[in-house]
Amino acid sequence: MTKVVIMGEEIMSSVIGPTGPEQRRLANNVMKEALNRAGLPFKSISYVVATGYGRINVPFADKQITEITCHARGVASFFPDARTIIDIGGQDSKGIKINNGRPIDFVMNDKCAAGSGRFLEIIADTLGIKIEEMGELALQSKNPAVISNICTIFAEQEVVDKLAEGIPLKNLVAGILESLANRVSRMVKRLKIEREVILTGGVAKNAGMVQALSDKLGYPVSVPPEPLLTGAVGATLLGKEIAQKAKERDESPERKERSLKEIEIL
Amino acid sequence: MAEEKKKHKKRRTATEAAASIGPMVKEFISGTLRAKEEGRKVAFTFIVCLYDEILRAMDILPVWTENFAGICGAKRDAERFLERSESLGLSRSLCTYALCGIGFDQWREELGEMPPDAPWGGQVRPDMMLSSGQILCDPRNKWYQASQLYMPDVPVYNIDLPYPLYEDDVEFTDVRDYYVKHIIEELRGLVAFLEKQTGTKMDYDRLSETVDLGERTWNLIWETYDLRRAVPTPMGTGDAMNTMVPMCFMMGTQEAYDFFLGLNKELKEKVARKEGVVEDEKYRLLWGGGLPSWFALSDFNYFNSKGAVFPAETTYRMIESMYQIYMPDTNDPIERLAWRWFGYWVFWHNKARKRPGSHPDVEWLIQYIEDYKIDGIVMHEAFSCRTWHLGLIWQLNQLAKIYKPIPVLVLGKDGKKEKTNRELPSLVLESDIIDITTYSEVDTRNRIDAFIETLESVAKSKVH
Ligand code: SF4
Repeated sequence: MTKVVIMGEEIMSSVIGPTGPEQRRLANNVMKEALNRAGLPFKSISYVVATGYGRINVPFADKQITEITCHARGVASFFPDARTIIDIGGQDSKGIKINNGRPIDFVMNDKCAAGSGRFLEIIADTLGIKIEEMGELALQSKNPAVISNICTIFAEQEVVDKLAEGIPLKNLVAGILESLANRVSRMVKRLKIEREVILTGGVAKNAGMVQALSDKLGYPVSVPPEPLLTGAVGATLLGKEIAQKAKERDESPERKERSLKEIEIL
Repeated sequence: MAEEKKKHKKRRTATEAAASIGPMVKEFISGTLRAKEEGRKVAFTFIVCLYDEILRAMDILPVWTENFAGICGAKRDAERFLERSESLGLSRSLCTYALCGIGFDQWREELGEMPPDAPWGGQVRPDMMLSSGQILCDPRNKWYQASQLYMPDVPVYNIDLPYPLYEDDVEFTDVRDYYVKHIIEELRGLVAFLEKQTGTKMDYDRLSETVDLGERTWNLIWETYDLRRAVPTPMGTGDAMNTMVPMCFMMGTQEAYDFFLGLNKELKEKVARKEGVVEDEKYRLLWGGGLPSWFALSDFNYFNSKGAVFPAETTYRMIESMYQIYMPDTNDPIERLAWRWFGYWVFWHNKARKRPGSHPDVEWLIQYIEDYKIDGIVMHEAFSCRTWHLGLIWQLNQLAKIYKPIPVLVLGKDGKKEKTNRELPSLVLESDIIDITTYSEVDTRNRIDAFIETLESVAKSKVH
């Protein structure tokens, strides 16, 4: 997903648009939409920070900052005492240790779909349910199924077999969430988890997943109001800081040439 | 694949010495092909087996099969040999050096000539294969046995080169004499085998000279690498992945000694001119373990482009200062080799014993962190080599537990800032030594970017 947040004193508008191979070129469209909603012309934006995997594909950005730093900043603005962030996105998952809103260590899984939100998307598809339904279904289960395969493709097959064996859907879904929670918590534990623990990314909207993760980690897990937007909020706050610092020095921040055109990717 | 190869440009090195390695390796490979034509004996062998001097003293040309696989990887031309091994029934999760080498050898034997476009002329057919049993590295035992299936007339000689594992409540001196005696017997067995293969007796005076040259080279390398402590550092790990060639493949030769004399001079001059790997050195990193991805050495340059340098690495630092290795009073070169082997492997044991919760590998990291003024650690988990990579994460965890050198302020329970100490930030890269299908440049560089930002924020949080 491509997200845009525009901030003045506070958030003026935010948009969550699709990503994907074609949309990657079209960060400009999501930006236009956000400007429309805020009722602002592009030239009134004093600074633009791009983050995430696609940050290099945003030609109108003044600065690129990785999602690790942006998440740290965004989460700290909602939870000043946050120390550990777990972000489970569509393509990867990561754990970030923070102090005073700054990252001090991180781990990342960008190698394996089974540790990311993609795992849930694929299994939801296989089970013929909507991804949003998974959380509620899982919370009804008292006996989560054990999913032993750690590879998405094999887990998918295992789920199909278990369904045929008559294992109730809610137990299967609960088992799947546990399996994802298991993988993610094993990775994040390398950071020596400290409270407060915050979960972000699309998966954080899934109450069953929040519960499963909290059980696995042995800590309560909090979720920000818009868990998909924390990275973008962080980027905006960092951008604002750069612009303000420049202003304090009576300078204008170093900016790139601005153009809201789509980019060309070979 | 052809595309991949075309795009791959020559990497920029910081030192002239490192830049001279490419042609040296190329000559090395052609040298083995020439030697074979001239009827000289050629032996397949592994690095870090410490019998390099024995081979040199007997005029047997070593062919480092790990090196040839690494060359295929660096040229991004390993895939076809890996695939060949796979189709011979070997699992892709085995050591990819071994898979590449076996695939290549089988192909050469099948054709009766070098496979088409063999990297740098190809890997020569050996007269013998020398393997060695060492802790964890199964290819050192099994690789040549598998190769022998395709070269049944080439003899394999296997020796045992053990060293004691660390236990914090056991003194290695209790077992030392037993180990050394055993290694001496193994080395003498190797000499007898080589004498039989070459039909000539070992000239022990010559071996003494070669071992002596080897020991002087160890000291010279130690002193040379120590120059990298300078700020800014004149040479990084990217270059050390080149300069490992004379260290690991040419020990006991005058050429290796002269190479490090040249490097020593170059580094001293750079230090005097305060000429660093990068103009504005911001972060000093330790390559704390793991063989590199040979096809992606330019990642070191990427680090450099962010102001990060690697003044030290534990990988391929296969020497210590001979002044610090216990050596009894003996003139027997075989005995000296055995003591050197043992001394190298237990080098960090005593230091580790002094710090509760430590371990030789962790102690090694701590020493380098302090000596080289390190800000962060990078490791590479190459999936197919268990030998070097098993335990890396454990080492990082253990290090974080017992060593917290960064003073920072954290928000205490009462909302007030408290001073505390934190561990060094670390980054674990994941890929392989030569299997390019495990690598993603975008993901790797995304991790590097995030790590650099983390270093930046740690530097900002640091209280002085
Ligand atoms: S397993 Fe590791 S140490 Fe052993 S041959 Fe392979 S790469 Fe070398």
